[in-house]
Amino acid sequence: MVSGSYLKQARGENDNFPDNLTLVKENVRKADWESAQHHLEDTEKAWEEVLPRIQFSMERGEINNLTVSLARARAAIMAQDKPGALMELEEAASHWHRLGN
Amino acid sequence: MNEALVVVVRGVIGFFTLLIFARILGKQELNQLTFFDYVFGITIGSIAASLTTDLTSRAWPHWIGLTLWTLLVAVLQLITLKWRNASKYIDGEPTVVIMNGKIMEDAMRKLRYRTSDLLGQLRLKDVFDLSQVEFAVLESNGQLSVLKKSQFQTVTAQDLNISTDYQGIGTELIYDGVIVEQNLKQVNLDQSWLDDQLRKRGIGDPSEIFLANLDTQGNLYIDSYRDRIQDLSDIEDYKKPH
Repeated sequence: MVSGSYLKQARGENDNFPDNLTLVKENVRKADWESAQHHLEDTEKAWEEVLPRIQFSMERGEINNLTVSLARARAAIMAQDKPGALMELEEAASHWHRLGN
Repeated sequence: MNEALVVVVRGVIGFFTLLIFARILGKQELNQLTFFDYVFGITIGSIAASLTTDLTSRAWPHWIGLTLWTLLVAVLQLITLKWRNASKYIDGEPTVVIMNGKIMEDAMRKLRYRTSDLLGQLRLKDVFDLSQVEFAVLESNGQLSVLKKSQFQTVTAQDLNISTDYQGIGTELIYDGVIVEQNLKQVNLDQSWLDDQLRKRGIGDPSEIFLANLDTQGNLYIDSYRDRIQDLSDIEDYKKPH
């Protein structure tokens, strides 16, 4: 029930959600849209790997909000909307931080 | 997120938590529960239900709530065991509602206990005539204890000076086709005695028996799986749909 904050930590190379998210933010700041899209895909894959581990101890609302934030960030990056993408990525980071805390 | 799987896991946690907590809190029968015990039961049941199906919040706070309520009730149980005054305040006190055949209206008003409640509970005690009652006490669990006037009390063997045999609790020797070895030893008997008794009744094997019970007078009651009833009385009012 309280294992979520422990289980959300990275176990391998492909499930490091916060590092991947940081990379996307840096790419967006530099307006490197191609890399941002690539790293966002990695972030989404990391999220899909972490989710089955933490689903038992987390709020469904928080999980859904993070998933939606990532989807919105993807749309903002596709539209090359820098403020919009940064807003959504920050929101995703905030949801991630709140998971298990 | 696999919601069904999450509900299954949380349900198992809630189920066993409730089971363990209920065991911790003791063996009170349902009809011995006070109003507060009843409310407590509903509350922890409701928290356990939320723990299982309310996926909008984490399981942990629900579990903490469940534990806290159980802990507080366990503390109250300890307090009421140690201090009689606290017990009076927490569990309430029995109240006399009929004293020397007179209804105590003021006491009943304080308890918000209606005359129809009193008459109903008296009827449940097989008392249909108020004039037969000497004392009636409304217990803290809501049940009514009744003391009838001496002339209306049931005559006992002692009143008639009739000697009676000791009557204790019977012992199960076979349950669901299986011999209960421990009970057999407890009454200083062995399997050959039991086999002998079964043979006398035309039963070849203990597995044919649903229940065998030995009373303190040494009578063996046996109920086999095959009931051999000639005219089975049907208590159904309606034809079965199939």
